[in-house]
Amino acid sequence: MANTLTINGKPVATDAAPDTPLLYVLRNDAGLHGPRFGCGLGQCGSCTVHVNGEPVRSCMRPVSSLTVRDEIVTLEGLGTPEKPHKLQSAFIEEQAMQCGYCINGMIMQAAALLAKNPKPSVPEIKAALHDNLCRCGTHLRIVRAIQRASQA
Amino acid sequence: MNAIHGSGFPRRDFLKGAGTLVVGFALGGRDFAAAAELGPYGPPDDQIDSWLAIHEDGTATLFSGCCELGTGSSTGLLQIMAEELGLPMTRVKIHFPDTDLTPDQFVSSGSRTISLHARPIRQAAAEARAALAELAAKRLNVAPDRIVTADGVASVRGAPGRSVTYAALIGGKTFDLKITGKAKPKPVPEYKIVGQPVKRWDIPEKVFASFTYMQDVKVPGMLHGRVVRPPAHDAKLISIDESSVAHIPGLVKIVRAADLVGVVAMREEQAIAAAQALKVTWSDWTGLPEMKDLHSVIRNLPEFAEGYPAESPGGVLAKSGDLDAGLKNSAKVLKATYLSPYHHHGSIGPSCAVADVRADGVTLWCGTQTPYGMREAAAKFLGLTNDKVHLIYYEASGCYGQNGADDVIIDALVLSRAVGKPVRVQWSRADENGWEALKAARISECEGGIDASGKIVAWNTQTYGLSGYSRPEYHEPKHGGEPGSLVTAQLAGWDKPGLEEGFSGAAGNFEPVYEDLPNKRVVFTYLGPTSHRQGPLRIRVGSMRGVGSPDNIFVAECFMDELAAAAGMDALAFRLKHSPRARGVAVLKAAAEKANWQTRVSHAHNPQGDVARGRGIALLGSNTDTNVAGIYEVAVNRKTGAVRVERVVIAQDCGLVVNPDAVRNQIEGGIIQSTSRALMEEVTFDRARITSLDWLSYPIMRFDEIPDAVEIVLVDRPDLPPMRVGEPASESAWPGIANAIYDAIGVRMRQMPFTPARVLQALNSPRQAAL
Repeated sequence: MANTLTINGKPVATDAAPDTPLLYVLRNDAGLHGPRFGCGLGQCGSCTVHVNGEPVRSCMRPVSSLTVRDEIVTLEGLGTPEKPHKLQSAFIEEQAMQCGYCINGMIMQAAALLAKNPKPSVPEIKAALHDNLCRCGTHLRIVRAIQRASQA
Repeated sequence: MNAIHGSGFPRRDFLKGAGTLVVGFALGGRDFAAAAELGPYGPPDDQIDSWLAIHEDGTATLFSGCCELGTGSSTGLLQIMAEELGLPMTRVKIHFPDTDLTPDQFVSSGSRTISLHARPIRQAAAEARAALAELAAKRLNVAPDRIVTADGVASVRGAPGRSVTYAALIGGKTFDLKITGKAKPKPVPEYKIVGQPVKRWDIPEKVFASFTYMQDVKVPGMLHGRVVRPPAHDAKLISIDESSVAHIPGLVKIVRAADLVGVVAMREEQAIAAAQALKVTWSDWTGLPEMKDLHSVIRNLPEFAEGYPAESPGGVLAKSGDLDAGLKNSAKVLKATYLSPYHHHGSIGPSCAVADVRADGVTLWCGTQTPYGMREAAAKFLGLTNDKVHLIYYEASGCYGQNGADDVIIDALVLSRAVGKPVRVQWSRADENGWEALKAARISECEGGIDASGKIVAWNTQTYGLSGYSRPEYHEPKHGGEPGSLVTAQLAGWDKPGLEEGFSGAAGNFEPVYEDLPNKRVVFTYLGPTSHRQGPLRIRVGSMRGVGSPDNIFVAECFMDELAAAAGMDALAFRLKHSPRARGVAVLKAAAEKANWQTRVSHAHNPQGDVARGRGIALLGSNTDTNVAGIYEVAVNRKTGAVRVERVVIAQDCGLVVNPDAVRNQIEGGIIQSTSRALMEEVTFDRARITSLDWLSYPIMRFDEIPDAVEIVLVDRPDLPPMRVGEPASESAWPGIANAIYDAIGVRMRQMPFTPARVLQALNSPRQAAL
């Protein structure tokens, strides 16, 4: 069944089966590296993207629930080296990663937070990231990066 | 792009230009593309050209044999090369391991990339700079000792106008020189790049998603594979019902090699659906012990009948004086038993590999830590010679030790061989947790005595453990590897033994850090190598951040704390009394000062109320290694048993610091990861298999649980070589936290993890109350 999705402002056609998780269309049909496979269970957050501005676990979201009218934004669509999102700049400034595998989710989750709450407190940042896991233990730097971005 | 990956172009083309590859140009000097130049373990390591190249555009590429595990070590290697070559960081790039291009640097593990593997890179760069000075001297018609080099330019000292660029001297050409060992690396006081908090080259690519992790690798015509594992560790395959997946579109093949079962499909989600739907009948197997009996089972296993691995010390690791006499003469004797569980590595991205097995050769894309060892293991598995396998390394999700990165390669080889096309195998979360090598569970029994003055006069620790090492590569300096250590090879019917060098890893940092411990005995009883499919316990163990060392430090530094309390002494003063080595004293004092250490007998402050606070300390290190003192401040809720680590202070002397920000990042991360392991992590299993297969059954620390602060004092010792960074600081966490809990509530936590249930149990234990 052919479906067209709007990914980072561009139409992407896919013939993936309706129950296919959005993650595989993003990675394999659209060729994106931002959303990452971590658990396939909605438990770790590394696959996070925005759908109409809301953070969504793309490993759990079937493509059949999406239409061309839904705005899907991935880390690639959030900003570029030429026009970086302030979180992307802040994560570089704070060197807020080690392996970086979880960082897609951290930035996408934090971007959704800042869109609603531009000046979050540290407890608000930690609460927003509660369901995003980092194994390298970069939490302190991630919080600092989000604080830096909120002050930018 | 600062990293270059295998492109399929021969080595000479990399010399031409960093980004743009021009094929077919003429080149003087050595041509590494010739197959004869590549031995079974890659380019010869005694040639400058094996290590680096200077391109026509004046940039340089480092051909690194080291894998980047997400620690930032590749930026450190580039700093070291740039410093020696006299190039700015903006003009250096790294080529990750590739068996057509990079030298064999064995295994990137044990926090040794900078401390050990940077040495030949530094020497090659120093030799290259000396050669550039010679070339410039000829070009500028002066004596070589009048040439100075900086920023990619060689000029005449005192006459900066007389100069020539590196690009003009050798850009795009080879040095064609042996490494003599005669070139002297720069004196440390002249360092301008090493020692600076240079920003990591990879972080921008990762925040803009242009970075290619192993999990992102795609090759033309690639199919997607998934594996179907037995529901019990040593269950045998009985039958496969192929009709169970007949309805799955895109299914290409169901593959079986002995007990290794997999599916291959056109699309990834089709492979996942097929793996989930495939009906496989397995034999029953329930050979695991009850989880509650684990440590008594380990304690009662027989010593490994075949003895200790050749390169490891025998059962008695340290011995001095007369232990029995020391115990007899003690005013007080303490006994304690410490237990540690299995841990998952917990890589956020499960393991992944792509294999293309063809009649004329094999290409492998993978996230191994041991490129040449794994290449040889893969070649042996397929019955090929090394030169028929081209292995290309890509950075994967952080691994912290031996996760499934090597095992998934065997899966990919088996599936690709069956379909004759490139196949990508991505492990699921349950594949990773269920079949990776785990951090080994251990049991240690301690007995110690103090005299009337509070001096230790007897020290006895006896540890029981299985092999903590099941990688496919031989122990350095022997090149190559064997597939038998990999559980996937075992599943696929490979019946030759793996490598068994586990004891050395299991016993790291076994010797107490205190010089003044008379009548000492430290014994490790080796119970042999094991995996899910072989050996005495059928739970596979491997290396994880420090291997056995964190367990040894846990035991030694907890017991030290128990003896301090028995002596009625402050924990810091007691440690100083027993003569840590000089660098140990320095970090102890630096940490105590930063933390504003409260000098008193632990728990003498007897805090009241539901939430009790306490502080604990731990020390580790040696003369030739990193020294760390960690101070942990905890809050313990007596009603719930919940422990929160509020503040951590680390003082670390790791010799010369190459990149202080990267070192701090590693310390912060190591502390948070180890705190998570101390407080909540424990692999669970039933009689058939591992059951902690997701993040609900194996929770790790979340943002609201992390310490409020990790404060770091770097004791910079530029007079010493750079030492290990990734592991040591993290190893202070388990005893530091246990000792802090004692200070807060007066009970000893001797079994990890220190969960609320265990804390409550300890609080309510009459034996504990009597301490």
